[in-house]
Amino acid sequence: MTQSEAVAWIAQIFEMAPDQLTPDTHRDNVPAWDSLGILTLMASLDSDFGIVLTDEDIQAVKTVGDILDVMRRHGTFTSTSS
Amino acid sequence: MTEDSKRVFEGKTIVVSGASSGIGRAIAVHLARQGAGLVLIGRDQARLEDTARQASAQVSRIVQLDLTEVTAIMPAVKETVAVVGRLYGLCHAAGTVDTLPLSATGPEKLQALMHVNYLAGMELARSVTRRDLLQEEGGSVLFISSIYSLIGKPGQIAYSGSKGAVTAGARAMAIELARRNIRVNVLSPGMVRTEMTERALAGLSGQQVQALKDMHPLGFGSPDDVAHAAGFLLSPESKWITGANLVADGGCSAQ
Repeated sequence: MTQSEAVAWIAQIFEMAPDQLTPDTHRDNVPAWDSLGILTLMASLDSDFGIVLTDEDIQAVKTVGDILDVMRRHGTFTSTSS
Repeated sequence: MTEDSKRVFEGKTIVVSGASSGIGRAIAVHLARQGAGLVLIGRDQARLEDTARQASAQVSRIVQLDLTEVTAIMPAVKETVAVVGRLYGLCHAAGTVDTLPLSATGPEKLQALMHVNYLAGMELARSVTRRDLLQEEGGSVLFISSIYSLIGKPGQIAYSGSKGAVTAGARAMAIELARRNIRVNVLSPGMVRTEMTERALAGLSGQQVQALKDMHPLGFGSPDDVAHAAGFLLSPESKWITGANLVADGGCSAQ
């Protein structure tokens, strides 16, 4: 998976078009990224990639780039650009 | 009814499942008369086209879909929105009934009813209410349940369970989606004369059919009786109503 594919995957989770998100996009600018949205993200990371977020991960994830870092750390993708 | 209220759905597109017959067809035609654009979902293309003819020029799209294939629902809804634009709402009228005693209600029978009555309805709602598919100002979702979600009858264990799941799930959905101004309601009809219920009645004795009639002080309902109530719950005229279960049963459950 490339980084742009990962961003598209995140956009799908938050019900947005991929071109509306960049790694710098903050959760405050993603309407669906609320308390329930985090649950959706957690469930989707687990079901699609087997990634289980820790409490520390959940606290630390504030931007799309933070989610990408988690995915990269778990080997979902290795490249830093598309 | 004022002239304005007759076109309350002008500019709004509503997905109607089970639109090829019975209650779903009557709802689709009623909504079209009030100005709604329609996305008709059902298994039978020819019957959907017949519904479209009855609904005149208001049908935006016909989607032939077997709702037991729940994974096909989201892609179909996305594809539809790409063509017709964002949606206003959903009416899940598709349903199936199977009158069986407990001894014959095996897991496969339960699953069959749960698939269409509950799983497909929830997946349709999940698809239609996506932020990138629904109108940004909110919308309206309606599930057609049954009074059998509220009262017990022999032979209706699987059906009652599936409709009860719809009713309970819709209530939670109403709370979750209220902050996005999406209303979610349930309409629970009593016995309505449709092809589906005629088939169910055919399996009963004359005495049993009479007993069912006697349960409904206003007699059996017609699909139009349900369609009028559905139109109200889907329309902006009921904008302060969410999480409700409107019983339309000719007085059956009031006894």
